[in-house]
Amino acid sequence: MRIKGIIFLAVVIILGFLISWMSIDPIIESEIEYQASVANGALVEIEGLDIDIIDLKIRWDKLQVANPENTMTNTFETGEMELDFLFWPTWWERVIIEDVIFKDFKMDTERETDGYFEIPEEEKNAEPSFVAQLVGDVTSEISRNAKMEFTDIKTNINVDSLMSKLDLQAPEKIDSLRNGLNNNYQKWDSTLSNTKINSEIDNIEKTINNIDVKNIKDPKKAIAAIKNVQKLAKQVDSLKTRAQNLKNDFQDDFGDSKFSVGRIDNWIEGDFQQAMNMAKLPNINPGNIAQSLFGENLLADYSGYLEYVALARKYGSRLAGEDKEKIERYEGKDYKFSDKYEWPKLWIQNIDLSGETKTAIQLAGQITNISSDQKKTKEPIKFNLGGKDDSNRSMSLTGEFNYLNDEPVETINFTYDGFGLKGSKISPSELLPYPLETGTGEVSASVSIVDKRFDSEIGYKAKGISFDFGENPSDDKIQQLIRNAVSSTDQINVTALVDNLDGPLKVKVRSNIDDLFVNALKSTVSQEIDAARQKIESRVRNEIGDRKEQLLAFKEEKEAEIRKEYEKLEARVNEEIKKVEDKKKELEKKKKELEDSLKDKIQDKIGIDWK
Amino acid sequence: MFLILKYIAKLLKALSSEASPNQLAGGFVLGMIIGMTPVLSIHNLFILILVIIFKVNVGMVILAFLIFSGIAYLADPLFHSFGIWMLEHENMQATWTGMYNNELWAITKFYNTVVIGSLVSAVLLCIPMFPLTKIGVVQYRKHIHEKVMKTKFAKALKGTKLYSVYQTVVRVRG
Repeated sequence: MRIKGIIFLAVVIILGFLISWMSIDPIIESEIEYQASVANGALVEIEGLDIDIIDLKIRWDKLQVANPENTMTNTFETGEMELDFLFWPTWWERVIIEDVIFKDFKMDTERETDGYFEIPEEEKNAEPSFVAQLVGDVTSEISRNAKMEFTDIKTNINVDSLMSKLDLQAPEKIDSLRNGLNNNYQKWDSTLSNTKINSEIDNIEKTINNIDVKNIKDPKKAIAAIKNVQKLAKQVDSLKTRAQNLKNDFQDDFGDSKFSVGRIDNWIEGDFQQAMNMAKLPNINPGNIAQSLFGENLLADYSGYLEYVALARKYGSRLAGEDKEKIERYEGKDYKFSDKYEWPKLWIQNIDLSGETKTAIQLAGQITNISSDQKKTKEPIKFNLGGKDDSNRSMSLTGEFNYLNDEPVETINFTYDGFGLKGSKISPSELLPYPLETGTGEVSASVSIVDKRFDSEIGYKAKGISFDFGENPSDDKIQQLIRNAVSSTDQINVTALVDNLDGPLKVKVRSNIDDLFVNALKSTVSQEIDAARQKIESRVRNEIGDRKEQLLAFKEEKEAEIRKEYEKLEARVNEEIKKVEDKKKELEKKKKELEDSLKDKIQDKIGIDWK
Repeated sequence: MFLILKYIAKLLKALSSEASPNQLAGGFVLGMIIGMTPVLSIHNLFILILVIIFKVNVGMVILAFLIFSGIAYLADPLFHSFGIWMLEHENMQATWTGMYNNELWAITKFYNTVVIGSLVSAVLLCIPMFPLTKIGVVQYRKHIHEKVMKTKFAKALKGTKLYSVYQTVVRVRG
C-alpha cells in the first residue's frame, strides 16, 4: 500500500471540491442570467445564488426580471427562492427539479437601475415566429381604428391640400402596366413578322409548283412524286402545329390570368381609401364604433400576454432539439435498455408561487411540469394562479402549454374581477369622455392556439355604472344624444373576438351600446361624412383621369393587330395544306391512269385480262 | 517535462533491479486498461485509485497508457463492433437491463459500445499480458538492460541538467 499515494489522492479530492465549491456559484449565476436575459429581451438578475451540492439545493435571495418595454420596471420579481434537484440525473447532464418555492412574488415593480440588455446579433436576426407575427398583426389592428374621429367631422375638407399630400399609386401603376404591355406587343409583332413559317411555306409552294403532273409518263416517277408530296404534307402539318403553339403562347401572355381590369380597379380603390384615411373619415357601423370605444383598452395588454406564448414555444422547441444522436470516432453508440433515463434537459416539476400584484391582490398558485421536452415528461406545462384582496377584487390565471403532440396547443384563461371604476374613464375615445361615478369592472380573456390556428375572446364588463357628466355638460348635439343614450345604461358588456380560423386575422369588437352610438351619429354626422366622401372620390378619380379607359383601348387595338397578323399566317398555312392535298390527289389519279394504260398494253400483248 | 523525465528515469531504474516484476507488470496492465478505454470514464478513475494506492510502477503505467492509446485509436471500430455484439447478445439482455436500471452501474456508461467493447477487451488482454510482462522484465534485466544503458538516449538522459537535479532531489529525500 502506498500511504503517500492515499494522502495525495485525498488532498486532490479535497482541493477539487473546494475549488468547485468556491467557483461554481458565480459561473452558474452569470450563465443563467445571460440565457434568461436573452430569452426575456431585458436584464434578468439573480442575487445571492447558492448551490449546495451536498444537500442538492439551489437558493437565491432575489430575482428580478426587467420589463423589455420599460426597462426601469420589472415584469416581476421574487424574494427568497429555494429548490431541490435530483442527484442522479446530473450525471446524464439533466436538471430535474422536484419543488421550487417562490416567496414574495411581485409584479410591475420599480427598478433602481436600468434593465436594458443588448440582445446578441444572432438572436436579433432570428425569423419572427408565428406568434410574434400574430402580436404584430393584433397591434396594428388595434391602432387602425383607435384614432378615428367620429364627432369632429371636417365638412369643409381642403381637397387640394389633401391631394398634394396624397401619393397616388394608381396612375404610375397603370402607366407601368401600359409600358409592359407595349413591350410585349412589340415582341409579338416581331415574332410574327420574323417567323420562319412564312419562308418555309414559300419553299413548300415552290416544290409543289415544280411537280408537273402532265409530264409524268412513268408510274414509278408518279410514285416518287407522291412520296415527295407526302413529305411536304408532313412539313405543312408541323407548320400548322407551330402556328397553333404561337397562338397558345400569345393567349397565355395576354389572357385574363395576367391581365385583369379588376387589378386596375383595386389600385384606384386603394388610392381612394388612402385619401379617406388621410381625411380621417370614419365608417359608422357598430364594429368600428366598438373598436374605437374599447379596442385600444381591451387589446392593449393582449400582445404582451401573447409574447409569453411565443417565448414558451421558442424555448420549448430550442431545448428539445439539443439531444442529437451523434456517432463520432471513439464515442461509440449508447444503448437504452429501459426508459429510466429518458429525462428532458430541464424539468421543473412543481413551482409554488406566492406574492402580490401591484394592486395588492395576494396571489398564490402553482406552475407544474416546465420542461424542455414534454414528450419525455409526458406532461404539459400547467399553471393555476389566483387570489383576492380585502375589497373583494379577485384575479385568476389558468392555462396549459401542451407540446405532447405534433401540433403545439396553448390555452390561457384570465379573469380580473371586482376592481373599482369610480373616477375612471371607461374609454379613451372622444365619443365617451365622461368619468364614472360608480361601478365595478370585470375583465376576462380566453386564448386558444393550435399550431397556427388562433382563437380568442376577451370580455369586459362594467357593472353598476353611472356616468359623471359634469356640471356644465357640452351642448353639442352628438354629445347630448350620447348622454341620453348612456345615462339609462347601468352595465356595459364588451366582447372582442380575435381569430384566424378562416384565414386572415380578424378582430371583432362588439358592445351592448354600439347601436346607441350608431343611431346618435347617423342622425347627426352621417350626411356630412357622405358629402366629404363623394368630394374626395370624385377628386381622386379626376386625378387618375381616363388612364384606365385609354389602357383598355390600347390593349384592344394592339391585340386586334396581332390577331390579324396571326390569322393571316394561319390562312396561309391552311391554304398550303389544301394545295399539297390537291397535288397529292392529282398525282394519285395520274398514277392510276398510267398503271391502267400499262395493264392494257400487257393484255394486248399476252392476251390475259388483268382486270 | 520534469515529471516525464522523472518517470522515464524511474522506469529505467525500476526495470534494472529496483522494482519487482509484479509491480512492473501490474503497472503495465493498469496503464493498458486506461489507454485502451475512453480516458474520461468512471472505471478509469477506479484504475487511477488502484495505481495510487498499490505500489505499481507509475512509469510503466504511463508507458503502457501511451502505447495502448495509439493502438486503441486504430482498434476503435473493432471495439465498437465487439460492444454491439455484447450489448445485443440475447442471453445478456436481462443482465444489461438490470445493470442499466442501477444508477451506480449506469454511470460507468457500460451501455456504450466503445466503453464496454474496449474495457472487456482490455480486461481479457490482462490475462496474457500480466505474465508476459513479468517474463519480459526478467528477460530485459538479463539480456537488454546493459545495452539500453549504453544507448545515446540513456546517456543523453543522464547528461541533462534536469536529470542531475532529479538525482539531487532523490538523494536529499533519501
